[in-house]
Amino acid sequence: MLKLSNLTKKFGNFTAVNNINIEINAGDFFGFLGQNGAGKTTTIKMITGLYAPTNGTVHIGGFDIQKNHIEAKKLIGYIPDQPFLYEKLTGKEFLFFCGGLYKIEKSKLKNKIDETIDQLKIDQWVDKRTEEYSQGMKQRIAIASALLHNPKLLVVDEPMIGLDPQSALVVKNVLKQKASEGVAIFMSTHSLNVAEEVCSRIGIIKDGRMIFEDNKEAVEQIKGTDHLNLESLFLHLTK
Amino acid sequence: MSLLLHILKFKLLTFIKFQDEIHANAILKQSSASVVYILFAVGIFYFTQNTIKYLTEDVRIGIFLLHRFIFALLFIFFMTVNIGNIVVSYSTFFKTAEVGFLLTMPISFAKIFLIKFLDNFFYSSSTLLLMVTAALAGYTSYFGLSWYFIPFAVLFLILPFMFIAGTLGAITLLVIMRFAATFGIKKVLVTIASVYGTTIILFYIFSSPVQLVTKVFAYFPNINYHFGFLESPAIKLLPNHWVADALYWISSGKFIAAGWYIYLLIVVSILFLLFALFLSKQWFYKSWLVFLNLSSDLSLKKKRNGKAVFSFEKNSSFKPRHEALFKREFLLFIREPSQWTHFLVMVFLITIFVISISNIDVMILKVYNIYLKTLIYLIIYLFNVFLIASMSLRFIFPLVSLEGETIWKIRSAPLDYKKLVLTRLFIYFSVIFVIGQLLNLVSNYQFSIMLTVISQLNTAFVTITLVSLNFGMGAVYANYKEKNPIRVASSQGASLTFLFTIIYLVFLIVLLFAPLNNFFYALDKSSYASLSQLLFTSLILGTLAFIVSYLSITKGVRQFNKDI
Repeated sequence: MLKLSNLTKKFGNFTAVNNINIEINAGDFFGFLGQNGAGKTTTIKMITGLYAPTNGTVHIGGFDIQKNHIEAKKLIGYIPDQPFLYEKLTGKEFLFFCGGLYKIEKSKLKNKIDETIDQLKIDQWVDKRTEEYSQGMKQRIAIASALLHNPKLLVVDEPMIGLDPQSALVVKNVLKQKASEGVAIFMSTHSLNVAEEVCSRIGIIKDGRMIFEDNKEAVEQIKGTDHLNLESLFLHLTK
Repeated sequence: MSLLLHILKFKLLTFIKFQDEIHANAILKQSSASVVYILFAVGIFYFTQNTIKYLTEDVRIGIFLLHRFIFALLFIFFMTVNIGNIVVSYSTFFKTAEVGFLLTMPISFAKIFLIKFLDNFFYSSSTLLLMVTAALAGYTSYFGLSWYFIPFAVLFLILPFMFIAGTLGAITLLVIMRFAATFGIKKVLVTIASVYGTTIILFYIFSSPVQLVTKVFAYFPNINYHFGFLESPAIKLLPNHWVADALYWISSGKFIAAGWYIYLLIVVSILFLLFALFLSKQWFYKSWLVFLNLSSDLSLKKKRNGKAVFSFEKNSSFKPRHEALFKREFLLFIREPSQWTHFLVMVFLITIFVISISNIDVMILKVYNIYLKTLIYLIIYLFNVFLIASMSLRFIFPLVSLEGETIWKIRSAPLDYKKLVLTRLFIYFSVIFVIGQLLNLVSNYQFSIMLTVISQLNTAFVTITLVSLNFGMGAVYANYKEKNPIRVASSQGASLTFLFTIIYLVFLIVLLFAPLNNFFYALDKSSYASLSQLLFTSLILGTLAFIVSYLSITKGVRQFNKDI
């Protein structure tokens, strides 16, 4: 579903992402870990078409995001760490707006919005203007907006920022459910316990290079031999 | 198309909701804004009507020259809309979170461009449109045209005209960004500035207003005919010429003759839009990437120049709090391209202005009519004030709003807000003050020393008033969520401040006309020119400056104490 080939991004002489190769299939839950400034968000911005790679390609469902961006974007649901919402619209209006961008038929959209509101438990404040929302509320609306068009690939940047424990649990469950339904998930996070709990594959990026990439079983094996948990493995690899 | 309408529908909904906040403060603000807008429109209506009456009945310049005067005004209007759209589009196209959001959606780049262009065009041109509509109403009234000429002219003359200026601005920006990737931003900006400078000079060479007046007056008293054959063919290609000629024929009752120009304006505006859409399809995304690269290049340079002048690490002779504020203001200013580029554009305009007025004294002394002498002097002076007002609106008005991201630090720090406000104001005020004084000196230094001194004093009071007014209004209309200074400086509150400024300019004309006229009269008769009247104007301006600055600073301080 997602294929990054020799992906590189340079800003002047500075290489933010250096020759990354990843392939993620339907149902994979890929946890993308790294320190601050390692290149996670730059990679995500290249996947979503916000940045153009200096070298290499991003293919989504077979479509090159640079050459066929509209077809590629139809398959993506993107949840940024700082989501943009129109402040004067209510959460529900924003969801209708996003559904319209994906040309979802109105009756189907209404049902899907109701379903998503229920799934993410946002019914209490979805009719308030988003300017009144906390960071966690905004995050959940952004997640809801990314699920409306049944994306084949979810690109998630730091989903747990600003979420209270109950909200975090809801979000984790929704993401796990989507993966079990065959959606490919590419999630960058600092929450190692979340990655350990939900991801089927783990990748670690450092100074723009992938220094580790394997499935959960392999991670478990390494943990079993040298390290107690993912945190100590992560600290060991990134020191 | 349906997708475009869908987005525009929600944009409209966002706008309507922005206007329908119903708490008391908002109602008060909206009501007072509406009153000012209405008063302003009425003022422009009567001003236009009386000016046309004065020019055609008292000075008797004739209908043709009147429309050449409108032609010259429309050129300034065109350039204002055009340059305004380049500057504001840079922020709207590349710096808003909305564009980042829309780029992740399955929408074509041309549609994103169109949405943001329309957003930008109506956002930044609405006040100008109001002014033109009111002026058109005055024009309609004077020439006894039907009331429905006003909406007709707005829709089919003014909007296409402004649209050409706006799309040309957006096209210019796309060209700047596209070529910046190949040749570097500095070279491209210098080239574009040279092109604009050359265009302005060529306009005055080809339109040669003084020669035209002389040629037309050779036909006196038959000066109402259309003397198009006396003009250069080159200027007939300009959209402002089409609007002026269309108005000439309409005011002469020959509507069919105006039809060609209306057709031309509509067709060319559509062609410009189509060309802009074609370019945006190819270049909008590339321009976005160039913007990102430029931003990252600047941030990399910042890292390398970390210990340059104004580095926080260097020792300073200022008190720690003053040092922190000075250095912060300086660094934020030079690291925000929209701030310093806009400042440079204004400095560029000021330089052109200074060069062109260096012979003002000779010009005035050559003029036989005393009224005209006073008028020329006042126009120059008001242009000087207008530059001070523009700088205040652009750089002072957003000051309170721009505290947005750091307001938590200001509010939690052991600061005296009054000192904070005064220090911040002082930094910007001193720059604008020096520019204002220099401009005034250049336009006055060959007159009598006393007139120059009084004029310098008046300019100082005017600067205090305008800087304070913009600061106070910026505090009243503070928007802590807006990070973009250009958006803040073209918001509703800023438009209202601009209207207050225009009212202040009219007040200046009323206040200064008679004393200056008497002064020039005495000068002309080589008799003793009493300065007491001029000194009295200084007293009034000084009192007003004190009142406005007191109210504004109090409001600014109160704003920092409010719950946010």
